[in-house]
Amino acid sequence: MRNSIADWLDDRAGLRAATRSVGNETMPGGARWMYVSGAALASIFLIQAFTGLMMMTAYSPSSSTAWGSVYYIEYEMWMGWFIRGLHHFGAQTLMVLLLLHFLQVLWAGAYRAPRELNWWIGLALAGLILAFSHTGYQLPWDQKGYWATKVVTNIMGGAPVAGPYVKTVVVGGSEYGNQTVTRFYGLHVGILPVLMFLGLAAHVALRRRHGFTPPETEYVVKPKGPRQTYWPDQTYRNLLVVTAILGVMIALTVHHGGAPLDAPADPSSADYPARPEWFFRFLFQMLKYFPGRLEWVGSIAIPGALFLTMAALPILDRKLPSRLVHFLACGLIFVLAGGAGFLTLQSFQEDAANPKFQEARAQADLARERALFLASSPKVGVPPEGAGYLMRRDPLTRGRAILEKRCLVCHRFDGVGEKEWSAADLKNFGTKAWVRGLLEKPDSDDYFGKSPECDGMVEWKQASKLTAEELDQVADFVAGFAKIPEDFTVDEWLDQPGVYDHPGNKLFQKDCGTCHVIPGYTEGGLRDAPDLFGWGSPQWMARMIRRPDSPVLYGYLGDDQRMPASPRDELTEGDLKMVIRYLMNDYPLPADEAAPEKTTP
Amino acid sequence: MNRRDFHRLGSVVLGSLVKLAVAVPAAAFLLTPLRKSRKSATSSEFERLANLSQLEVGVPQSFAIVRDITDAWVKYPKEPVGSVWLVRQPDGVDPPVIAFTAECPHLGCAINLNPDGGGFFCPCHSSAFDAEGKPRNHVPPRPMDRLEVELTADDDPQVVVRFQRFQPLAEEKIPLA
Repeated sequence: MRNSIADWLDDRAGLRAATRSVGNETMPGGARWMYVSGAALASIFLIQAFTGLMMMTAYSPSSSTAWGSVYYIEYEMWMGWFIRGLHHFGAQTLMVLLLLHFLQVLWAGAYRAPRELNWWIGLALAGLILAFSHTGYQLPWDQKGYWATKVVTNIMGGAPVAGPYVKTVVVGGSEYGNQTVTRFYGLHVGILPVLMFLGLAAHVALRRRHGFTPPETEYVVKPKGPRQTYWPDQTYRNLLVVTAILGVMIALTVHHGGAPLDAPADPSSADYPARPEWFFRFLFQMLKYFPGRLEWVGSIAIPGALFLTMAALPILDRKLPSRLVHFLACGLIFVLAGGAGFLTLQSFQEDAANPKFQEARAQADLARERALFLASSPKVGVPPEGAGYLMRRDPLTRGRAILEKRCLVCHRFDGVGEKEWSAADLKNFGTKAWVRGLLEKPDSDDYFGKSPECDGMVEWKQASKLTAEELDQVADFVAGFAKIPEDFTVDEWLDQPGVYDHPGNKLFQKDCGTCHVIPGYTEGGLRDAPDLFGWGSPQWMARMIRRPDSPVLYGYLGDDQRMPASPRDELTEGDLKMVIRYLMNDYPLPADEAAPEKTTP
Repeated sequence: MNRRDFHRLGSVVLGSLVKLAVAVPAAAFLLTPLRKSRKSATSSEFERLANLSQLEVGVPQSFAIVRDITDAWVKYPKEPVGSVWLVRQPDGVDPPVIAFTAECPHLGCAINLNPDGGGFFCPCHSSAFDAEGKPRNHVPPRPMDRLEVELTADDDPQVVVRFQRFQPLAEEKIPLA
């Protein structure tokens, strides 16, 4: 039955004859390890195509969804880390194999007649593989991909005359965004693969037409031993090498637990140390030697000239002495390869010796870990607006950044701030510990020691006769203010159980209430002091940040004595919330939850 | 075994090895949805839909089920995921409220009220049900699916419902995990 179906198929399609003609190709001089490089390159490319197709079933190309879907592939899907890791390390393997194949073909002088056409097709395929690498690098829309894309497209834009137009078309506008992702995606999974398969088919067909050529010295020697054919003598060698290469790729994938994913792209980040993959490091390093105006010479003219020289080899071979051309071409390439190797090493050494780079990279790693934690946290997750908001709505990231920029000019936070500070340390502001510290030593530099205009508490301390135990009770009472809901009146608050009969209540009224007015509760009048109703709560802090000059806060101070206000056009409502939540320690931490589970073996 | 036979065997073995090393993880990758998700475990809780006093006896009213949902990598806060028909029964009848999921047992379309009055009607394939949810024609494989309902102990009791999905086309009511 099976045979009759196979016979029918063969009769209609002629498959057997076709495979036989491929398999029976005679290997001149026998099967050789040297003939492996092209087959290995094509095999790894097929693995790239296959793993790429798999990821297409899960990847979502847009600037808001790309990062989330890659996160999902890498950390949530079954074996997603493995598929993506193979694709990631496969891309790098292709670069190595491409270089080896190129060197071997050049060394063999296989650009000579009758192989000129296939030499050119090969060069075009090499260009396509570089394009694959560049377009794929950007797709996760993480910091690494975003900044690398920005650099590469700006290099394009720096080319004379057409540069800016080419860049705008590739990027899909003047800004990087959805159109950049969809265009790069279309190139990476549609246009480039079609060109690649057409080119590869032609490349292989022409290779078969011209056959293998044994090294020149053996040209005249009759092949010894049994007649060897492509199948199975060469395929065995090919597959042995491919298995070994795949083994290395799998080992790298397992060792790294998949492929890296940086924090989501953030166009506003000022300190991201963008670096290309290692195989482009030499270009990156070379650019440092060119003045910005002449950037295109290093990045476009020199590689372009080299490419054209290689393409011209078949023609030069006819016009000039063949051996001389071959000698010069090989010499040029080996010198350049040596130079590229040197630049690559130099680039890595410079980074290793550069503390600023190390610090920026450490920051980027922290951001990456935070982003991955937030995405995996059941309390947070990737928001519908996109992965970019993952960090922008994280009090620990955004709130701290705003605090450092706006508040730590005068304030300190856990001892961190400017050398000359002039306001309190805000670490644990609103908690019992903070109040207790203030009541103990109001003129400490952590409280009002640096702001002599706020000397009311210092004056109180000198006269106060409260014992340590009583101060504890007051601190505990005041720390409870932070939990008063926004819509509560003073009476509603006092009616809450545990407020009026709190041991700190009487003490507060007697000792604090003489200055701090809370209408309907304390009288004040002895000295000017802010209203403490809801002190430490989000609504109290919001008013303090928006309007420190409010009559219920520090309205009694002069404009130059008071904390500067932060109106809405300087601090958005969202950022205000982030700062307050950061001050209140209101953000999830990995220690509070189980560590993000990864489906590694 | 001669050299060529060894190469033949080696080619087959190594070729299969390479293909399996890629194909097996790829199969697992594609079959990810079959894996039990650890996140959907909490979704079978009772949800408050309405106060009993809002409902009129015998008049079906529709309420949306709103939940925090995780759609692959995105977390949506408070998204509608389905709807429920609540029918209040006359006093003294048990249960006091019947809750039907609006998902048709036929092929999962949303069941609406019968425009001609009385009972329910599904606009997709004309499944028709009476006010008790019993089939009125041969299209639906089973009656409308009833959900578990409870009343809270408040003065004006609230109607809480446990929203579930059931397998379409089956003659039995089989909850979907």
